[in-house]
Amino acid sequence: MAPPAQSPAGSPTPDVAAYLDMTPERRAAAKAHVAVLSNTAGKVALELPLSADVDDFRRVLVAEAKQP
Amino acid sequence: MTKLAELSARSLAKAIRDKKVSSVEATQTAIAELKACHELTNCIITLEADEALAAAKAADSAIAAGTAKGALAGVPLAHKDMFDRRGKVSSWGARIRSEQPAAEDATAIARFKAAGALQIAALHLTEFAFGPTGHNYVLGHARNPWDPTRITGGSSAGTGCAVAYGAIAAGMGSDTGGSLRLPAAACGIASIKPTWGRVSRAGAMPLAAALDTIGVLARHVEDLALTLGFLAGPDGRDPAASSLPVPDYVAHLGDPVKGLRVGVDEAVVRDAHPDVQRMLEEVLAILGKLGLQRSSCRFPDWQTLDQLVQLVQMPDAAAAHNAHMRTRAQDFGPQVRARLEVGHFIPAVDHMTALRARGTYLQRTLDDTFKGLDIAILPILADPLPTIAELDVAGGPQLQAAMGRVVKYTRPVNYLGLPTLALPVPRHGGLPNGVQLIGRPYAEAQLFAIGQAYQREVPPDIARPIA
Repeated sequence: MAPPAQSPAGSPTPDVAAYLDMTPERRAAAKAHVAVLSNTAGKVALELPLSADVDDFRRVLVAEAKQP
Repeated sequence: MTKLAELSARSLAKAIRDKKVSSVEATQTAIAELKACHELTNCIITLEADEALAAAKAADSAIAAGTAKGALAGVPLAHKDMFDRRGKVSSWGARIRSEQPAAEDATAIARFKAAGALQIAALHLTEFAFGPTGHNYVLGHARNPWDPTRITGGSSAGTGCAVAYGAIAAGMGSDTGGSLRLPAAACGIASIKPTWGRVSRAGAMPLAAALDTIGVLARHVEDLALTLGFLAGPDGRDPAASSLPVPDYVAHLGDPVKGLRVGVDEAVVRDAHPDVQRMLEEVLAILGKLGLQRSSCRFPDWQTLDQLVQLVQMPDAAAAHNAHMRTRAQDFGPQVRARLEVGHFIPAVDHMTALRARGTYLQRTLDDTFKGLDIAILPILADPLPTIAELDVAGGPQLQAAMGRVVKYTRPVNYLGLPTLALPVPRHGGLPNGVQLIGRPYAEAQLFAIGQAYQREVPPDIARPIA
């Protein structure tokens, strides 16, 4: 097993979600899956305006409401 | 008289109101049918027969006295076991749950009660409503009433089974990634996933608050219209519940559908199994017969939507279960545990990016995909109905790929928050499947009008095992 990463101060950096009781295989699978998702998030971030806001979603839903 | 199991909730309410059948008779029949359904499908978590029969007697007395209130007075129904009910503990389909009885009813439960409906049972769901197939590694898997070796779809599995079997006419479920639509497709019934925020989630088990949507499964579209009419509306207990006016959906069931335009994204549909593509074409032909006009459309990149919705859902769900994942991880089933773990690895910046991008993607979908369209149509399941064994992947290495395939056509729609009506495809004596009609925000009335017209061509079925 590879040694844990070292922080600048020399103390071991805890792995992400080290508090979870996971097998190495499940931990590796989770990281691999998240890497794919993060890659997409990075691409999406490049095209998002700085003004994009989490509340935009609700605003669009209401603004585009179509009722009889 | 038509068999009770074949009636819509609306028709049964009228029969009870007109004293053609008593609420007690209807409730006794529903309990017997639900027990039979349970033997076949494992659909019940808690049967509440005595309580329901007492409520039915009270309903009959009120009807006799002329004091009964509500559109569903005396009608026996049952719901997914994830809603607070005063004095009761909901299972959430899990071993881990609150041991404290709920202090008050969930808003949706309270609104069903105000409509006069009875609840005869709390029904099966995937553990914590976090799974699309009906597998539950804690309480046992649900089995499909058409073929018990097949999946029911999840997570609202028990409601799907009980409605399809004819034990109840309608029941509530929830949808965070497909949980109202997948059981509808797998069990051959209809469902409405309303616009996000249309129905209050107060007192419902949270999975991923940014996506969670309460809705209804039913055999008859008119029951979806009726029930959404009283479920929808503002609620001081859920700030996200919309205060937009609630239309009289039932009054709009007969709205003309001729000339409405339905869009098909052929590039997205192409990834479905050829049989599923043929089913979609058959439904499109029926919609064409009703006068809808078909055209092509293009959603934003479907894979991107699917990944963005995961970036929203997984940390949200992981946060909801954070305490128990740190202290009682062994009490989760293997599949839910493995899925929750992933959420802990998603960087906050990616989660926030997905949330910030949501309005942009929704606006793009409405401006581009829906340009010149009234609705879009997609499959629900990408494949013909899988067996329980085929998808028995627990928390193993096939988990993400297998579940991703099941929710391929449903999960991205949750990111967009759009209302979606699930309709069964014609079975021709075979196994069920379904399609989803996706509307503009708050256009549920239009979806119901199309669904009502569709059911004149494809009437609802009662599920029994296919020999």
